[in-house]
Amino acid sequence: MKLNIDGLLVYFPYDYIYPEQYSYMLELKRTLDAKGHGVLEMPSGTGKTISLLSLIVAYQKAYPLEVTKLVYCSRTVPEIEKVVEELRKLMDYYARQTETKNDFLALALSSRKNLCIHPEVSSLRFGKEVDGKCHSLTASYIRAQHHSNPSQPVCQFYEKFDAVGRQVPIPPGIYNLDDLKDFGRRKGWCPYFLARYAILHANIVVYSYHYLLDPKVADLVSKELAKKSVVVFDEAHNIDNVCIDSMSVNITRRTLDRCQTNVETLQNTISRIKETDAAKLREEYRRLVEGLKEANVARETDIYLSNPVLPDEILQEAVPGSIRTAEHFVGFIKRFLEYLKARLRIHHVVQESAPQFLKDIYEKVCIDRKPLRFCAERLRSLLRTLEIADIADFSPITLISHFATLVSTYSKGFTIIIEPFEDKTPTIANPVLHFSCMDPSIAIKPVFGRFQSVIITSGTLSPLDIYPRILDFRPVTMASFTMTLARTCLCPLIVGRGNDQVAMTSKFETREDFAVIRNYGNLLLEMSAIVPDGIVAFFTSYIYMENIVASWYEQGILENIQRNKLIFIETQDAAETSMALEKYQEACENGRGAILLSVARGKVSEGIDFVHHFGRAVIMFGVPYVYTQSRILKARLEYLRDQFQIRENDFLTFDAMRHAAQCVGRAIRGKTDYGLMIFADKRYARADKRGKLPRWIQEHLTDGSLNLTIDETVQLSKHFLRQMAQPFRQEDQLGLSLLTLEQLQSEDMLQKIAQIAQQA
Amino acid sequence: MRKRASVSGFTLSLGAPVMASLSEEVLLVVKRVRQRKQDGTLYLMAERIAWGPEGKDRFTVSHLYADIRCQKISPDGKAKIQLQLVLHTGESTTFHFANESTALKDRDATKELLQQLLPKFKKKANKELEEKNRMLQEDPVLFQLYKDLVVSQVISAEEFWANRLSLNSVEHSLSNNNKQDVGISAAFLADIRPQTDGCNGLRYNLTSDIIESIFRTYPTVKQKYAENVPHSMTEKEFWTRFFQSHYFHRDRINTGQQDIFSECAKQDEKGLKSMVTQGVKNPMVDLLSLEDKTLDEGYGTATAPTTSNPSNKSLRENSNSAIIKRFNHHSAMVLAAGLRKTDAPNDQASETSSTDGNSRDSDFFQPPVKKVKLQEAIEYDDLQGDSGRRTIALNLKKSDRYSHGPIPLQSQHYSSSQDIINSISIIQHEMRNYKPRLTQVMSSSAASSAITALSPGGLLMQSGGQQTINQLVPTDVQSELKHLYTAVGELLRHFWSCFPVNTPFLEEKVVKMKSNLERFQLTKLRPFQEKIQRQYLSTNLTGHLEEMLQAAYNKFQAWQTRRMMRKT
Repeated sequence: MKLNIDGLLVYFPYDYIYPEQYSYMLELKRTLDAKGHGVLEMPSGTGKTISLLSLIVAYQKAYPLEVTKLVYCSRTVPEIEKVVEELRKLMDYYARQTETKNDFLALALSSRKNLCIHPEVSSLRFGKEVDGKCHSLTASYIRAQHHSNPSQPVCQFYEKFDAVGRQVPIPPGIYNLDDLKDFGRRKGWCPYFLARYAILHANIVVYSYHYLLDPKVADLVSKELAKKSVVVFDEAHNIDNVCIDSMSVNITRRTLDRCQTNVETLQNTISRIKETDAAKLREEYRRLVEGLKEANVARETDIYLSNPVLPDEILQEAVPGSIRTAEHFVGFIKRFLEYLKARLRIHHVVQESAPQFLKDIYEKVCIDRKPLRFCAERLRSLLRTLEIADIADFSPITLISHFATLVSTYSKGFTIIIEPFEDKTPTIANPVLHFSCMDPSIAIKPVFGRFQSVIITSGTLSPLDIYPRILDFRPVTMASFTMTLARTCLCPLIVGRGNDQVAMTSKFETREDFAVIRNYGNLLLEMSAIVPDGIVAFFTSYIYMENIVASWYEQGILENIQRNKLIFIETQDAAETSMALEKYQEACENGRGAILLSVARGKVSEGIDFVHHFGRAVIMFGVPYVYTQSRILKARLEYLRDQFQIRENDFLTFDAMRHAAQCVGRAIRGKTDYGLMIFADKRYARADKRGKLPRWIQEHLTDGSLNLTIDETVQLSKHFLRQMAQPFRQEDQLGLSLLTLEQLQSEDMLQKIAQIAQQA
Repeated sequence: MRKRASVSGFTLSLGAPVMASLSEEVLLVVKRVRQRKQDGTLYLMAERIAWGPEGKDRFTVSHLYADIRCQKISPDGKAKIQLQLVLHTGESTTFHFANESTALKDRDATKELLQQLLPKFKKKANKELEEKNRMLQEDPVLFQLYKDLVVSQVISAEEFWANRLSLNSVEHSLSNNNKQDVGISAAFLADIRPQTDGCNGLRYNLTSDIIESIFRTYPTVKQKYAENVPHSMTEKEFWTRFFQSHYFHRDRINTGQQDIFSECAKQDEKGLKSMVTQGVKNPMVDLLSLEDKTLDEGYGTATAPTTSNPSNKSLRENSNSAIIKRFNHHSAMVLAAGLRKTDAPNDQASETSSTDGNSRDSDFFQPPVKKVKLQEAIEYDDLQGDSGRRTIALNLKKSDRYSHGPIPLQSQHYSSSQDIINSISIIQHEMRNYKPRLTQVMSSSAASSAITALSPGGLLMQSGGQQTINQLVPTDVQSELKHLYTAVGELLRHFWSCFPVNTPFLEEKVVKMKSNLERFQLTKLRPFQEKIQRQYLSTNLTGHLEEMLQAAYNKFQAWQTRRMMRKT
C-alpha cells in the first residue's frame, strides 16, 4: 500500500499495516526531518525492520540530497541477512508499483569468513584463520613478489577485482551475502573487497555493529561513509556492552609469553633483513621521520591491523625518535613487556587509573607516554616493512601494542585492574590485567558526531531515558510503542511462591535453598504438563543452571519432566548447543514437545527466536543480575555514579531487566504468535523491577498476576492456552490491530494511533 | 515310520497352483484320522501335509506347509482330540484323531513334527503371498479379475502378479505402514527406578517395552546384548551389569575398567562428537556462525572463558556437566529413535537435508534450507493479503473412497433458518424488480411446436427413444459385462505394456499375451455373446470389446509383419 506519512509518500510492501508501524514511521520521519538522533522501542514481531526500511528508503528517494545513505547495523549474521531479504521485498514492491527498474544499490557486508570464495581460504573454520590466510595472499608486498616470482601464490579473485573491479561499478540491486558470492563467482572477483569498495557508493549498507563501533575495524571499513547517512542500530539494547567490549583489553601471562616469542621472531627477522636488505629499513625510517601517514601509502589489503583508538585521537605527527628504528622499537617493546610481566607478579588485587599506570611505568622503566601512544602505529609499520606474511601469529604483540596505545591515549573512562587469581579458584595463580573501558559513550561518540541521524531501536529499550545517559547523546525523539492486539496474545505472570508458600527467588542468600530449587522444579514440571510444544527456560547464570539441573536430577524431577517432554540444555560449547537447539526444534516440530534449559545473557537468549510452537512458554528462573562481585563491574558502577549520576542499583536492575525482557520476548514474534511469560521470582513484583520492563509487556501485567503460587499459575496458564488455541483469523484483527489503507485514513483511527507512541 | 511313497493324483485346493512332484518323502503317516466325518490317513511329507480318505489313493486335502499360518490343538480335557490347521487365507482344516488308544500320542507326534516343520517354511511363506492375499481380499474388483483370468487359466498367476505387485507396492507400503510405530517415552529410564526390596537389594522392573526402548535408543547396548547374551552371560546377568555399570549412572564419575559398557559410553561419546561436528542444518540456529565478527582473543570485558583444563574443575562441576551432556544426548537419541523409521522421503526436512550439504566446502550450492528459513523468518502472514495460504498435498490411501465419497443424503443438506429467510428476501427483492421483456418472447404457436418437437416421439426426440443399457439389460448380464471389461482391460494393459518391443523377453511376452487374448476371446467372450443371443438381446453389447481386441490384434499383426520383414 502507499502511505502518506506526514507528507511523504511511502511504499509499504504489504496489503495491511499494523497501527504501531504507522506510528513508528511518523516518529521516524520526525527524527529524520530534524536531522537528529532517536531512540525508539517497538515490540519485536511488529514489523519494525520493514517500517524502518520503508520510511528511510522513501525518504532517500524523496530527498536524495538530504539523506544519501542508510547504514543499517544489526547484531548477528542471520539478522543481517533477514534485513536484506526484507529490503528485497520492499524493492520488488517498488519495482512493481512504479514500473521502473530499481536503481538502488543495497548490500550486506560481513567478515571474510562469510564472503570468501577462494576455495582454500574459505574452507578454514575460524574467522581469524580466514583473515590471516587472506592477508597472506593479498598483501601488497606479496603481490609485488608475485610479480617477480610467479610461483608465489596470490588470490586470483583479488587480482581480478583489483584489475577491473573498481572501474566497473556493481549494477544496482539488492545483494545479500550469498548474492555477493554468486556475483563474485560469476565475475571472478573477490566478494569481500568488492563489498568493501561498493559500500562507499551504495545507497544502503547492512552490516554488523563492529564495523561502526569497533575503532579497529571502523577505521578500515567505515571511514569514508558520507556524513549525510542515516545510521540505524537495530536490536540495540546491548549497544553499550558492544562499545565497551571493543575498547577493553585483557592480558594474561600466556599473552605475555606468546608476545615474548613474537618479539624474538621480530628480532631475528630484523637482523636477517639488515644483512640482506638494509635499504628497506632505512626507507621505513625515512618515512617515519617524515611522518607520512600509513593510510596514504598502504593499500587496502595491507591494513590488517589498525589503530585501536578513535580516529580523532590518532596523532597527526611523526613517530617519536626513540622508537623510529626497528631495533629501538623492539627494544622498547621488550622493556614494556618486562614491565608488564613484573606487574603481573602480584599477590593481591591492584586497581589503578591510566595516569597512575603511566606514572608508574615512567618511574620504573622510564617509558614515556608519547612513544606508548605510537605503539600500535609503529608496530603496524614494522610488520609491513618486515613483510610478515602470517600476521595471525602476531596477535599477542598486537594486543600489547593496542593496550599501550589505549592506556596512553585515554586518561578518563578506563580502569586497570590486575587480579592475581580467579575468585573461584584462589589457590591457582592466574594473573590477569584487565584494561577495561567503563564508558560506552567513548566508542560511540564519533558515530553520533559524524552522522546526521542515528536511530537506536529495539524491542526492549526500557527505560528509554537511560540510553541517552549512558551513551551521552541528545536524542530529538524518544518513544516507546505498544503492541496493539486483537487478543491478548502474551500472558506475563509473576510466580512468587511455591504451593508450600515458600518464596521463590534466586536471591543470593536463598538460591541454594532446597525448597527454592524444588519449587522451581515443580513449576517446570507442572508447566511441562500443560504447555503444548516448546518451553524455554532461562536461568540467571550457567553455574546456577548446572547446580539446579544436578539437584533436579537427584530429586527425580527431571525424570518426571521427561515423561512430558524431551529436555535439552544449553552448554558452554557453542557447537553442542547448536545441536541441542536444532534437536529441540525438531522435537517441537514433530509434536513431541521439548524443553530447552538456557541461560540469560547466553548466546541463545541473544540470538535465537522461538516463534510459534518453538516457544509457547518462557520461564525466567530468577532475576538475571550480572555477577556483582566482579571488580570490573564495580569499577563501572562507580564510574556511572560519578559521571552520569546513575545509581548502582538502578543500573544493575536496568541491566537485569533488559536481559529478562530479552529472554521472555523471544517467545512472541508477531501478533499471530502467542506465549506465556513466566517470571519466577517474587522480586519481579516490586515496582522498581516491574517498571523497567518494556511497556508492551508491562501493560499486560495485572495486579492479580503479581504474586502467584504454582497452582494459580497453572490455572491461569491453562485458561490462557485454551483461549489462544482457538482459531485466530485475519478478520478478528482487522480494524483493531491490523488496518487496511481505508481504515488507516479514518479520523478516529488516526487519533487512536497517536496514543500508541509514548514519548519518554 | 519313514517310508518312501509315490503319490499320484491330488485334488486342488483353492485353485492355487500346485507343483506336482512325482515322488515325495513321507515323514509321518497317521492312520485313522477323521476329516469331515470321514476316516482317512494323514500324511506329513517334506513340503506338505495331506489327507486321503480310507481306501482311496488320492488326497482330498493337501496343504503346503508354506500356506499354513499356524496349528491349533484341542485342550487336553476335551473328548475329541483334534488338530486344526489355519491357513494364511484364513481357511482352516480340522483333523480328528480317532484311534482311541493312541489318539493323543498320534496327535502330539503330528504336532511336534509340525512344530519343527512349520517355522522352516514360515520364512519361506513369503510376505508376498500374504500380500497378494490381502490385496485380493481388500479389492473385490481385483479378486474378480483374478478369478476371471487366473482361476480360469487364461494367464498364469505369475503373469497376473508380475506388474501388479510393483505397481501397488508404493501405495501399498503407505497403507501397510499406517500402523504407526510407537514412539519412545523420554522417561523410560525413569520407569525403572529401583525399588528397595527390603533386604539390602535393589529391584529393577524391566518390561519388554523398556528393553525395546533401551535397544532402540541406545543401539550400542543392543549390540552388546547380541554379543554377550546368551554366550557369555544370561540375560538377567546382562541387565544386572547394565544397571550396575557407570554407563547407566553416567553422572557418577568412576572408572570401572572391566565394565562391558565402557565401550558403549565411548561410542556414545563418539556419536555425540560426530553429531556436533556435523553441525546443524538450519543456519538460523547455528550459534557458531551467529556472530559476524567475534572479538579477538584478549579483547572485551567479559571474563574470558576459563581456558583451564577440566582437571582443575571440581569433581562436582565435572559431574554436573556430565549430567547435562547426558540429557542432551539422551533426548537426541530418543528423538532419533522415534524418527528413524518414519523418515519418509517426502517430508520436507529430510528432503532438504539430503541436498543441502551444509558443510562449508560445498557452499557452491547454497543450501536451500537457508533461503527457506530466511523467508520464513521475515514473513508476516497477517500483513500479507490472503495470497499465500500454503496447501498440503492430499495423501489418499483409498482413492475410491475419495472419488465416490459418502452417498449424499438430501435431508442432510441443511440450510439455517437465517439462510432461508435471506434467500426469500432476495427472491422477493428480485421479483419486485421483475419486468418481463415482452418484446423478446416467442409466439405461442412457435412455443407449442417446439414443445411437441421436444416431446418423446417428436421431431427432435427420435433418436432419444433409445433406452440406456441399464434399463435394457438384466443386472446379471450387466455385472458379467463389467467383469469382462475389467478382464479385457487388464489383459490389454499387459499386452500394450509390451510395446515398444525391444527385448527378447518382451517379444516372448507379447506373443504370449496375444495368445492369451485370443484364448480369452474364445473362452469368455464367445460364451457371453452366445448367451446374449440366446436371451435375444438385440443390442451389440460386446462390440466395443471386440473392437478393442481387434485393435490389439492389428497392432500385433503390424508388429509381426514388420519383424518378419526385418528378418528376411
